[in-house]
Amino acid sequence: MTTTTTVLSARPSFVETFQRLRLGPYLFVLGVAAIDYVVIGPNQFVNALTIGAIYALVALGYTMVYGIIELINFAHGDVFMVGAFTSMFVLTQALGQDGPIDSPGMLAVVLFINFTITMIALGILGAAIERFAYRPLRHAPRLAPLITAIGVSFILQNIIQIIYGPSPINTPQVIDPAARVEIGGVSIGVVNIFTIVTAVLLMIALQMLVSRTKIGRAMRSTASDRDAAQLMGVDINRTIAITFFIGSALAGAAGVVQGLYFGNIQFTLGFQAGLKAFTAAVLGGIGNITGAALGGFVIGFVEVTAGALGFFVWGQAAVFAVLIITLVFRPSGLLGQQLGERT
Amino acid sequence: MKLRKLGGLALGAMLVAAACNTGGGATATPGAPAPGATQAPVDKGTLKIGVTLPLSGGAAADGQPTMKGAQLAVDQANEAGGIGGYKLELMVLDHAVNGKYNEQQGAQDMQTFVGDSAVVGVVGPYNSAVAKVQIPISNDAGVLQCSPANTNEALTKPEFGALDYRKNFPERINYVRVAATDDIQGPAMAVYDFNTLKLRNLLVVDDVTTFGKGVADNFQKKFEELGGTVQRVGAPADTTDFNSIISAAKPETDGVYYGGVVTSGAGLLLKQLRQQGKTFPFTGPDGIVNGSGKAEGALIQIAGAAASAGSYGTIAAIGDFPGRADFEAAYAEAFKNDADFNTAGAYSGPAYACATIILKSLEEFLKTSPDADQAAIREGVRAWASDTSNTFDTVLGTESFDKNGDTTQPFISFYVVDPAAADGAGDWVFKEQLNFAQE
Amino acid sequence: MTAANTKLSRTPAGGPGLRGRLSDLSSRHRSIAVIVGMSLVALVLPLIVLLPPFSSFSGQTVWMDGFTIAGIYVLLALGLNVVVGLAGLLDLGYAAFFAIGAYTYALAASPFTGWDLPFWPMLLMGAVVAAIFGILLGAPTLRLRGDYLAIVTLGFGEIVPIVILNSSKYTDGPNGIGGISPPTLLDTRFPTTGNPWPFYLTMLVLIILSMIFIYRLQDSRLGRAWMAIREDELAAAANGVNTVVTKLLAFAIGASTAGLAGVFLASKLQTVTPNLFRFDVSFTVLAMVVLGGMGNVWGVAVGAFIIFMIQSVFLKQLNIFFNNVQVPILSDIDFLQYQFLLYGIALVAMMLLRPEGLFPSRRRRRELHTEEDEVFAEHGDAMGAAPE
Repeated sequence: MTTTTTVLSARPSFVETFQRLRLGPYLFVLGVAAIDYVVIGPNQFVNALTIGAIYALVALGYTMVYGIIELINFAHGDVFMVGAFTSMFVLTQALGQDGPIDSPGMLAVVLFINFTITMIALGILGAAIERFAYRPLRHAPRLAPLITAIGVSFILQNIIQIIYGPSPINTPQVIDPAARVEIGGVSIGVVNIFTIVTAVLLMIALQMLVSRTKIGRAMRSTASDRDAAQLMGVDINRTIAITFFIGSALAGAAGVVQGLYFGNIQFTLGFQAGLKAFTAAVLGGIGNITGAALGGFVIGFVEVTAGALGFFVWGQAAVFAVLIITLVFRPSGLLGQQLGERT
Repeated sequence: MKLRKLGGLALGAMLVAAACNTGGGATATPGAPAPGATQAPVDKGTLKIGVTLPLSGGAAADGQPTMKGAQLAVDQANEAGGIGGYKLELMVLDHAVNGKYNEQQGAQDMQTFVGDSAVVGVVGPYNSAVAKVQIPISNDAGVLQCSPANTNEALTKPEFGALDYRKNFPERINYVRVAATDDIQGPAMAVYDFNTLKLRNLLVVDDVTTFGKGVADNFQKKFEELGGTVQRVGAPADTTDFNSIISAAKPETDGVYYGGVVTSGAGLLLKQLRQQGKTFPFTGPDGIVNGSGKAEGALIQIAGAAASAGSYGTIAAIGDFPGRADFEAAYAEAFKNDADFNTAGAYSGPAYACATIILKSLEEFLKTSPDADQAAIREGVRAWASDTSNTFDTVLGTESFDKNGDTTQPFISFYVVDPAAADGAGDWVFKEQLNFAQE
Repeated sequence: MTAANTKLSRTPAGGPGLRGRLSDLSSRHRSIAVIVGMSLVALVLPLIVLLPPFSSFSGQTVWMDGFTIAGIYVLLALGLNVVVGLAGLLDLGYAAFFAIGAYTYALAASPFTGWDLPFWPMLLMGAVVAAIFGILLGAPTLRLRGDYLAIVTLGFGEIVPIVILNSSKYTDGPNGIGGISPPTLLDTRFPTTGNPWPFYLTMLVLIILSMIFIYRLQDSRLGRAWMAIREDELAAAANGVNTVVTKLLAFAIGASTAGLAGVFLASKLQTVTPNLFRFDVSFTVLAMVVLGGMGNVWGVAVGAFIIFMIQSVFLKQLNIFFNNVQVPILSDIDFLQYQFLLYGIALVAMMLLRPEGLFPSRRRRRELHTEEDEVFAEHGDAMGAAPE
């Protein structure tokens, strides 16, 4: 038609819309998941979703903290571990439970109290760690808070070890691990469904918090440009503290779920879980909440697929291989901003 | 500025402390009961028995009960008036780094023991990998080393490469052990699983350590030789989620053999097996037989009595002798104030036996040469213990060592978990023993 | 430097006083300073341990054995300092190169393969192989920024031990490779126990050579290129620095000292297992570099020595120390169970008190404490803001 093309086309092309919504990574992951389902079968699929959900919950805290102050918080995995122990403490000492609860009403009440107390306690712990160990180092060289984080990690581990001993400890599985339901002809454990649903609900809640509330706006602006946010009246210290609070609360929720699903916790739980969660956060694009969740599930799938195919020992290596390959093709992670150089 | 002050203060404190140091007069390690009231006056000084184990972090669950077994023996010896006029002191060094055993720290610790002329023998290590770096050092210096838990055959048997570890003095045996080697324990359970339990298709999981993989390899070889089929999977020692392995087990699987120790995840595997509805028997080597349902960190405690019922494990010792109950009672009494480790673990008895062997060798040597100097004592202890014609009365039964330093104890005992034992908490109960003497 | 500037009248660039003069002198004759300095240290240390209170712990032989192992960590810290401190590439998986160096020698000189290649050429070979892997593992990270690079290096740091652990055919898996030959010089094998001097002096030579090499690089164009990409990669590229080659060389050179350390470790322990090269080794070396003072060659060497002594000697011997010296409450505590706590507290405290490290490079100190900061701290500023 005309020889000049206007910049704003009347109707964006299909390709443009596709790119703008960034559906690409989602579809890719869904496609891989579907193939995986066929390969490993429904039981393993559920295994993968469950462990992936736990990783996703922990990854959320990692990504939030990194997004706002660019710190790899190596202590986060141990915060998750403390959450698991807190949950156990609440269930056994405060609520006096030691096994499956039959009545759904009672179960709901117990779980509600457990989640609330654990998440609040962990949130306070996370905010306290930020206040005392990281805030003084906000202007220090980038590596200093990294070292501090590992120091905090050691401290948390040792404190729990002193209180509870080095051996694994059983936690009350108030949701009966033997309870199963039939969905589409496949028998799935109730506790698996609970884990997955909890994780998804918390992720949605977090996403809404970040995108629709005032505090969420404060978090996003601080993450984007701290000085500008300060100039616009955002209280930086409070915002960062709240970020840590929420991230640690989510780790606490993950701890509750860990206890319910596995029925057993140990003070060494934190390091491996933290490492995987951090990998998940990076895989999804660090700073991106949906990305962290996606990354968590991807890692769950990689691990379980490795086990299902008989390569269990290579599971960890496979996770990192997937990460490295992803970063080679998408240097900012699956859903990360494809930014240029940023100082 | 602050740092310098702190540093100066610390240095000053150390110098003052050293000046106050009377040099050598030591009491037992923390947590031990005080020696009894007035005993025969000790006039010859103190000799030391070294303990090299991983004692901190996650490894504490393995090393601490083991160390306490040796401690009990030494404390009892001191209460009885020492040995040959000498008081005994336990010198404990922890080679765990960041909660896991570390070979390099183990080598350093062995250098420390070897360099201290008052050390006449060493109990440990726990992990075969650490033994590999320690044996060249202790062999070179001629110090007796008795391991309660190493099972890898390459450490002692020349046909598996043991001479590589004692290159400097191949004929001098200084490393002995009371644990049965993997080439005995693994096949023993394979025979039992096949013939007695009538299992045919096993899922074999190992923890990818020298011990776990070794015993599982030997198990698999024998089991397949007998005609069974094995589905083999490795699960590294820090695995907590075995669900994918369990779901991937073939439908015809009728049993599990776990090559490893409880701290590598045996308890979690068993728990998750039952949670997934698998009811077939769980079997394993002595690493899983680590106490009743009341003991912290025990397999039965982690998985629960109901889940553990009908599990089978081997122990490389005579199962049915009176000494065992006495030992466990004495242990519980001595360490009742310890928050974490007040019941005997899987290797407490063997460590007690190792200490007994060192003490007995010392005693016998001092009878022949009461005025020997420390270097001669060290050599004398080594020579006595490694002499194949000497026998020792230990809590594991009568021990003696063959020309390679391996125990000649031929018995493998089979234990099964009885969920009703130990007041319903579940415990390992002796079932039978078989004689696997090498010809 | 005009003729009128005599030594007496000119203020040394390193600052006034003796320390400044020494620092000036040493920066102009770096190599000699390194040789003299390290030799002094190496001769003084064995003498100090003959005095109380050190002598009441262990004999000289045992102390020197400990120092030799500390030397391994010094080599590692020197190499990581090149990657992290000079070039600014956050490498969290440095232990991978250590493993590669160790297994290279293990495969070359043990009954597992049947070969018995001599130690000294294998030192060089180990460094070269590690450098090659430095390039291989660094290549995928070239496009990544900051912390993505960190996680990828962390990934490699995990993958290498896993591969070693599970490739029994080539590495004997969890059993490790044993029976590795110790070094031989003039037809005598280095003693395993008894005489610590052969290993000790060998380590001394390795450290001296590495330090001289790194100092030379630091002062060369390559060193300046490293610092340029550390500060601002885009600007460096705009100025003609070939970022790809510079980064890969940083990885390669950094890895090479780890290769040396690995070969040495294998020959001393005579056994290597995958368990020796886990993430906590990478982290410990990183802590040594940060605490020592990133970018400062001597700083990280001292930092490595101090942290090693704390972690492997001091914390481990606390129980024995308090056994010998009866202090009312402290003697009843089992310090072994508190190792992590104490170490963690020490790390946090160190970072809070002195985040730039014990001996930061002068440039770093200037970065963190600018002159304006110092004036502000004393007087506040013209607009009335007061120091906190």
